[in-house]
Amino acid sequence: MDIFLTVLQGVPMTIGLTVSALAIGAVGGIPLALGRRSQIPALRFLAVSLIEILRGIPPIVWLFIIYFGLGTALPQLDPLTSAIVGLGVISCAYMAEIYRGGLSAVAQGQWEASEALGMGRQSVLTFIIGPQVFRVSVPAAASYAIGLIKDSSVAYTIGVTEIVYFANDQSRQSSDALGPFFIAALVYVIMTIPCAWATRALDARLRMRVAR
Amino acid sequence: MNIFTDWPSYLPELLAGLGVSVQVALLSLAIGIPGGLLLAIGAGSKNKLVRVLIIGVVEIGRGTPALVVLQIFYFGLPASGLTLTSMAASVVALAATTAAYTSEILRGGLQAVPQGETEAAGALGMNRKDTLRFIVIPQGFRVAIPSLIGFAILIFQATSLAYTVALPELLSQAYSIGSTTFNYLSVLLLAGLMYAAITIPASWLTGRAEKRLAQHL
Amino acid sequence: MPPMQEKPLTKPLAIRLDSIAKNYGEHTVLKNVSLTVREGEVTALIGPSGAGKSTLLRCINLLERPDTGCITVEGSRIDAGTNFTTKDLAALRRNVGMVFQSFNLFPHLNVLRNVSIAQERVLGRTRKEADVRSLQLLERVGLADKAKQYPSRCSGGQQQRIAIARALALDPRVMLFDEPTSALDPEVGLEVLAVMKELAAEGMTMVVVTHEMQFARDVSDHLVVMANGAILEEGHPEDIFTDPVQPRTREFLRAVLER
Repeated sequence: MDIFLTVLQGVPMTIGLTVSALAIGAVGGIPLALGRRSQIPALRFLAVSLIEILRGIPPIVWLFIIYFGLGTALPQLDPLTSAIVGLGVISCAYMAEIYRGGLSAVAQGQWEASEALGMGRQSVLTFIIGPQVFRVSVPAAASYAIGLIKDSSVAYTIGVTEIVYFANDQSRQSSDALGPFFIAALVYVIMTIPCAWATRALDARLRMRVAR
Repeated sequence: MNIFTDWPSYLPELLAGLGVSVQVALLSLAIGIPGGLLLAIGAGSKNKLVRVLIIGVVEIGRGTPALVVLQIFYFGLPASGLTLTSMAASVVALAATTAAYTSEILRGGLQAVPQGETEAAGALGMNRKDTLRFIVIPQGFRVAIPSLIGFAILIFQATSLAYTVALPELLSQAYSIGSTTFNYLSVLLLAGLMYAAITIPASWLTGRAEKRLAQHL
Repeated sequence: MPPMQEKPLTKPLAIRLDSIAKNYGEHTVLKNVSLTVREGEVTALIGPSGAGKSTLLRCINLLERPDTGCITVEGSRIDAGTNFTTKDLAALRRNVGMVFQSFNLFPHLNVLRNVSIAQERVLGRTRKEADVRSLQLLERVGLADKAKQYPSRCSGGQQQRIAIARALALDPRVMLFDEPTSALDPEVGLEVLAVMKELAAEGMTMVVVTHEMQFARDVSDHLVVMANGAILEEGHPEDIFTDPVQPRTREFLRAVLER
């Protein structure tokens, strides 16, 4: 029971890390997604390259580059900041792809209808397409968020005191090497499964308000 | 800045590490995908107990971070008398994760096979086992290929987690070079590019596979 | 001993359905339907959609399991109300070939493999034996040149002819056709109907669910009109087409013929 409580101490950090990274991604993904659809080839190329490289390198490697690598050149960031920045920029790339999927899911007729009403590209995007894109993107974003809860565990490798950090600590200190990890697994499962259920319910409701 | 100048000297060790990473990924997939297929078939079992049990195992497998699974096999298991090398622990852990994830991918593929196919096989007198083996699984697998490639890319990336169990894969090699040269940024960047050199072309492959599939089925 | 045995008036039974009943929940699809089909006879099942024609047809080889009733095909008998073994089922299906509305070819296998695979797995023929037989049958439906193609490269009419060859490859004694031309353009349907006419002329026992009234009238020996999960009337096609007994049949025929 003590072990359980100790491992639980990591939960706020895991959640905080996930939510912060997701927030960065939700915002940062917008310019990247728009860049991908830009009419300027150079901008498009830049956006695609950024997305591919961010997604192509494992998260743990990004954290190391930011924490250890940049640390040798710039004043070193603390572990938590490094983890938030690392997972945050990766999330930008994944969210950009999710928005892109959302953009193509919104019916062409919505653009046409708005243009026929004489709205400019900017306001169509802001008032008509944008809100719909966010709605269709919710399920994919939610399953990405669930994945991110689990992926945030890599932050333990640079010393962020999240769930796995405490599990590891307990495993080494107590006579029971296996138990703490099982508890950690259990905590993740308890966190992720209800999220998955909630997503399905939310998805069904949001789908009704999108034109296709 | 001498970020790039030392790259040639890092390359031999990093390439050796990359070899280990690729090896772990391939072994995990080779063991995990057949496991996933068995779970996918079991999840369609008529026996409710079997079904519930398998879905439970898969949900737990998917809900637990690969990193935790890895720690269970490497640091946890010795307590129960079974000590694995870092290589074995990495392969077993990633194979287990692969099985859990690919079972969902393959289950989706199997379900995408139209019912008419099963009926046609039944009307031809083929039994359940033959129908599954010759008709449903080959078609379901094709449907699943793009997602399986996508997952294989993630597993290749996940081999970097084996750094935590001291397996001399790409990230471990890079880190150890960094700790002797203090040139972390340079060597980690090179390692990152080496990962990307494999994952980015592989993800283009997914797109191509999707297109080819759309033509054929 | 009579010098020449006269052609018997009644040929032996190929299929016998006894009081087949089927419900989906509250909804009744078949109400104690009984039907017999004689050897070498072509039976056409017609009627408005939702009449239960396809369900009845699918009950014959138990793709659809009736709630109650007895099915006898070429001596194999299954009582749907009781438990039967997969062996009983295999024995019954052994004599029955089936052709579907949507062809249901195996898209991952080429045309030759489509026709051969069941011969190998069900009849235990070697691949070589199976392929020889398959090529004969593909020749017969006029598609030997398509043997190495994949089904997706064939037109709908070709696919349906391949499906017929695939069913014939197991040497069935009875062939079931579930709206074989409904998914095809009218012109393309003709090439499928031609193959079916040939089969009928060779004396194959056939049960055909169809909307092709011309085929039902010209080719079938026995016409069965169904509505609301029951048989309205049955008899010689010419009699029914010219002088239906039931008002509901009259109504249906007028609707389909006078358009």
